[in-house]
Amino acid sequence: MAAVTGTSVRPTAPPGLIGTRVNRVEDARLLAGRGRYVADVTLPRIKHAAFVRAWPSHARILSIDTTRARTLPGVVAALTAADLPPATLVDGNWIPGLAKTPQPVLARDKVRFVGEAVAIVVATSRYVAEDAAELVEVDYEQLPAVDHAGRRPSGHVPILDELPDDLIYDRGESFGNPDLMFRDAPHVFVKDLALARSMAAPLECRGTVASYDPAAGSLDVWCSTQSPHLLRRRLSAASGVAEHRVRVMMHDVGGGFGQKIAAHPEELAIALASCALGIPVKWIEDRRENLMAAPHARGQRVHLKLATDDDGRFLALRARIVGDAGAYSFNAASALIEPYITARVMTGVYRIDHYGYHVAAGLTNKSPVAPYRGVGFIAAQTARELLIDEAARSLGIDRFELRRRNMIRPDDFPYRSCTGLVFDSGSYLEALTTVERMSAYDDFRCEQEQARASGRFIGLGISPYVEPTGWGTEAMNQIGWHSFPSNDSARVSMDISGKVTISIGTPSQGQGIETTLAQISAEVLGIPLDDVVVSFTDSSSAPTSLAGTRASRAAVVSGGAVGLASQDLRERILKVAGALMETDASILTVADGVITDPSEDAASMTVAEVVQKAFQLTEIRSAEPEPNFTATRFYDPGATYGNACVGAVVEVDPQTGGVRVLRIVGAEDCGTVINQVVVEGQFIGGMAQGLGGALLERLAYDENGEILTTTFMDYLLPTSTEVPHFEVEHLESPSPYTWRGIKGVGESGTIGAPAAIAAAIADALAHTGSTVDRLPMLPEDVRAMVEQGEDRG
Amino acid sequence: MTVQPDEVVVTVTVNGETVRHLVDPRTTAADFLRDGLELTGTHLGCEHGVCGACTVLLDGRSVRSCILYAPQLDGCEVTTVEGLSPVPGELHPIQEAFRECHGLQCGFCTPGFLLTVHEFLSETKGADEDEIREAISGNLCRCTGYQGIVAAVQRADETWQR
Amino acid sequence: MKPAPFGYLAPRSVDETLELMASHGDDAKVIAGGQSLGPLLNLRLATPAMVIDLNRILELAGISAHDGDGLTIGAMTRQHDAETSPAVAAACPLLAEALPYVAHRTIRNRGTIGGSLAHSDPAAELPAVVTAVRAEMVIRSRSGERTIPAEEFFLGYFTAALEPDELLVAVRVPAVPARTTSAWQEFATRSGDYAIVGVAAVIGLDGAGVVDRASIVCSGIADVPRQLSTAQSALVGQEPTSAVIAAAVAAQHTDPPADLVGSSSYRRHLVGVLAQRALEAATERQEGNDDRPTG
Ligand SMILES: Cc1cc2nc3c(=O)[nH]c(=O)nc-3n(C[C@H](O)[C@H](O)[C@H](O)COP(=O)(O)OP(=O)(O)OC[C@H]3O[C@@H](n4cnc5c(N)ncnc54)[C@H](O)[C@@H]3O)c2cc1C
Ligand code: FES
Ligand code: FES
Repeated sequence: MAAVTGTSVRPTAPPGLIGTRVNRVEDARLLAGRGRYVADVTLPRIKHAAFVRAWPSHARILSIDTTRARTLPGVVAALTAADLPPATLVDGNWIPGLAKTPQPVLARDKVRFVGEAVAIVVATSRYVAEDAAELVEVDYEQLPAVDHAGRRPSGHVPILDELPDDLIYDRGESFGNPDLMFRDAPHVFVKDLALARSMAAPLECRGTVASYDPAAGSLDVWCSTQSPHLLRRRLSAASGVAEHRVRVMMHDVGGGFGQKIAAHPEELAIALASCALGIPVKWIEDRRENLMAAPHARGQRVHLKLATDDDGRFLALRARIVGDAGAYSFNAASALIEPYITARVMTGVYRIDHYGYHVAAGLTNKSPVAPYRGVGFIAAQTARELLIDEAARSLGIDRFELRRRNMIRPDDFPYRSCTGLVFDSGSYLEALTTVERMSAYDDFRCEQEQARASGRFIGLGISPYVEPTGWGTEAMNQIGWHSFPSNDSARVSMDISGKVTISIGTPSQGQGIETTLAQISAEVLGIPLDDVVVSFTDSSSAPTSLAGTRASRAAVVSGGAVGLASQDLRERILKVAGALMETDASILTVADGVITDPSEDAASMTVAEVVQKAFQLTEIRSAEPEPNFTATRFYDPGATYGNACVGAVVEVDPQTGGVRVLRIVGAEDCGTVINQVVVEGQFIGGMAQGLGGALLERLAYDENGEILTTTFMDYLLPTSTEVPHFEVEHLESPSPYTWRGIKGVGESGTIGAPAAIAAAIADALAHTGSTVDRLPMLPEDVRAMVEQGEDRG
Repeated sequence: MTVQPDEVVVTVTVNGETVRHLVDPRTTAADFLRDGLELTGTHLGCEHGVCGACTVLLDGRSVRSCILYAPQLDGCEVTTVEGLSPVPGELHPIQEAFRECHGLQCGFCTPGFLLTVHEFLSETKGADEDEIREAISGNLCRCTGYQGIVAAVQRADETWQR
Repeated sequence: MKPAPFGYLAPRSVDETLELMASHGDDAKVIAGGQSLGPLLNLRLATPAMVIDLNRILELAGISAHDGDGLTIGAMTRQHDAETSPAVAAACPLLAEALPYVAHRTIRNRGTIGGSLAHSDPAAELPAVVTAVRAEMVIRSRSGERTIPAEEFFLGYFTAALEPDELLVAVRVPAVPARTTSAWQEFATRSGDYAIVGVAAVIGLDGAGVVDRASIVCSGIADVPRQLSTAQSALVGQEPTSAVIAAAVAAQHTDPPADLVGSSSYRRHLVGVLAQRALEAATERQEGNDDRPTG
């Protein structure tokens, strides 16, 4: 590993396509209403499914009677677990100490959360399927619900018999000597933060079309997923159809944000129903199902302690984290992911050598959790940054200054954090300074004083951070996820007309992957952007990508694989060109689809001519015995870390508790920028989601653990009037460990914004002596801060 | 196809073309457009009136097609995203502005925004940012943070000759 | 999320509608804008066997001003049309002020004045507004027409004083008396949401600047629009200074129910804050206002 300094490079206009603002190539079809989402897929003889879902949060199933449903005209079948081959969902990933509790595809003896699928009705239309679903009679014996991780209701019945205390993980780890440091520390600051459950809520809900052909023994599946190859594995395991006969296809996906990473019980159930019935079956999830039964996220309690010296230097940190796993721990990427990542990234952009954490995660009678953009990071980021502000206030040190004193510096790179993350390059201090400038911090302080004098309360929050991106094997290892190697390839092939098709297993859910990968390939090959297309993902032809699109990784991983494959292809084309032009291939240049021999005047051929000749002239084979213009490359990047800093200014109405976000500024660094349009879109969109998590979004339950927020009238996403205009500046610290220095940016904004907004509320109400102790901060919570201040006098 | 006794006839002009269909009265206008007429550009994000993905123009006014029922379309004119541009293969200035200003990511919310914005810009010129945000606040977008959409409305306000 | 089966009828006149309502009784639901009924149908929280569509009855829509003597607003008048109507702005400024808070433009394009009132959602703006301006509801059935004050129209959560065979045909808004001003204040989590609490305030002054009429009606704190009668009485006979308003509001007891968006005590607190703001805003509008009713 080469050492590099963290000096960032300001974006200049680079010569090639990489780094150029180009409009997205996918937009034209989406704008014309010609996107192809899973709900738009139809097939001959297709039938429509609706699930019968549990209404109690915890109950034994005494009986299920589908007779009335089956006899309704238009109903093809009503299937329960007894009618399908036994199938459960559990993955192969392994983390020491984590108990796995496989999730059945349809509930068998027990239901463990509201919305769990109990039966599936297949009918001529979704309307009739829903009519029939209402006629399925399920007899339940209700059990007390476990609604809080670690809390046992009276008459507690374990969620899973084999797990009497509902605990799936209970471990800690220590780095350096935090005990000693805390014992001798001049100052210790403490923070508690609770994050409500919330969820990704992509605008397109989940959905699957499965078509089993009993004659061919093949299973075709269209799905709104982030991980087609992973889904193929699960489908094969559940259905018994060999993996090469299972084909997962996907066109456009209406957002994922992590919710569509894992294979879902419903997706398997639909495939099994199609196998059982021998006809295509379609399930398009509705919003109520999505809010109840699609994976949830967050749901954590963090207790944090920071030891400092008199100058505010961070001596040690200690965290206790309790995670709410939901009803099943079926997937390493689900039950533990929030609290575990929180624990592992807790030290952030600061030099902290002594750190200890303890993580406990327990099952609850709620929908299982899965990754949602910013998974685990948000709890760590928000708790830590709020605590640093509280420490700054108490020590009388300016918040920017306190951070600066403790931040990892440019000459520290590569910097190894005490938990083993190796930060490759970055602009931590510069991002902080940029936000200080953008937020006009000194002027803001005056403005704040003046406003306060006239009864207005404004506050500023800052949130600098670093995040693992790319998530190759090395990054997985650094975070402590040893059994999850990265495994991705991409194929670039040029046809006889000289045009290129890229095939990948990391499909887009809106991130503009079609554009960025085309830019990379076009630049490397020296052909116009328009000559490259990224094809829709079809697991039978796309090279395998086991993890799929997740965790800010597609640009790094697929970008690298596409870049490398394009390089191979370029070499092959030039070799043939050299033979045709009777010159040394190594001196040839290629730009805009034209290959030129610089040594001789105007000797040139187009890429298309070269490829055509290679296809048609057998003589070429003496120069290139295998004139095949398809290159497939595997790419597993080194660990790389993006960074950013977000600043937020809010105004709080102390009387109503209403919060208005006046400004959000951000300085973002994702290494080499492929397309600024896309980077800005990811960063800003992420910050808006973070705003939702900070101020609006939470899943609520009643005393029986039954979910109350089952429509968009109750689960509140930010609208254009809650979200401010975002001001963004770019920094560029290319990674030394990835192809062309690319880093990811997919989750960045979502990680940074909640802490900035929460800290801004705390700053606005600092005079009350109250602190922010939860997310989201609903108006009533903000009002409570004011009231607590009033009570204190 | 067997005709159910309770089916009703709907005659409706969609994107300039008049069609006649038999429908189950409970069919939502959105499902009628998507399944009956195969105009799948109209999307369903919530089916209870909140998200705006299903927005179409009904006799020139924006409406949620998920809480409107097919028989209610009888005798009406409907414009969907497919009918926004008069020339197939070309984009309407509003669509063009969305592309130039990165007003979309996954594109699922986009058709609803386009029709909402069409109504807004048909009535208003030179709106400021706050007015634009208010005008689109009934449509949810989970991807963009709205910034590109607001910019697209400002751009279309200038480029759309109306 | 698809509705249960229903039959569909689209009458062209009020009389025809009343016949249909009488013959279908409890099995039928009329649909106006469908902006509340539609979600309920799709969620299968409403499962009528028959839906009677009011959208083709031209005689039910429209606003008529009675030459300084108030307004009649047809039940099927779209909320957006009322919001942009100069007649409404002139004769019922409180309604014009409150309408933009009802959902979003696209919902108001379709949603109707009558639908919002008949739906009788205590969290909605319009029931509070019509109660505050002492409007009258015009109701028809086959057996004839009756008129009842708004105060008596809202009976409980989603329950209006309408028999299954009765149609709300119009709302009659009285003329704004001299030296009377009004204001709407609400607090919602997001703009366009149903307010956690909303307050409609109407203040009338006598020639000496003393309150001779006060009407303060809240949304979101009871099963019906709730008048703050103690505060109203406390204001009458006083000059509406901030301190007087504060005292009147403080004297008012309320006992709001708790739900997902707000506890009882938070709502109670909001009533105080918003009532103060609404009354102060209404009072400010008295300035420069001699005899003319203004917004
Ligand atoms: C996303 C969203 C947000 C919303 N936000 C708000 C908000 O902030 N504030 C607010 O006040 N409203 C809000 N609404 C509701 C909206 O204002 C509705 O338009 C209104 O509540 C009902 O009016 P409608 O004409 O749509 O009636 P419908 O939905 O058609 O009918 C409502 C009920 O009234 C009955 N009914 C209708 N007309 C008559 C009549 N003339 N005589 C007898 N019975 C009749 C119907 O049978 C039905 O039971 C929102 C709706 C949506 C979808
Ligand atoms: S789908 Fe119609 S408003 Fe959401
Ligand atoms: S672009 Fe994805 S929801 Fe708007």
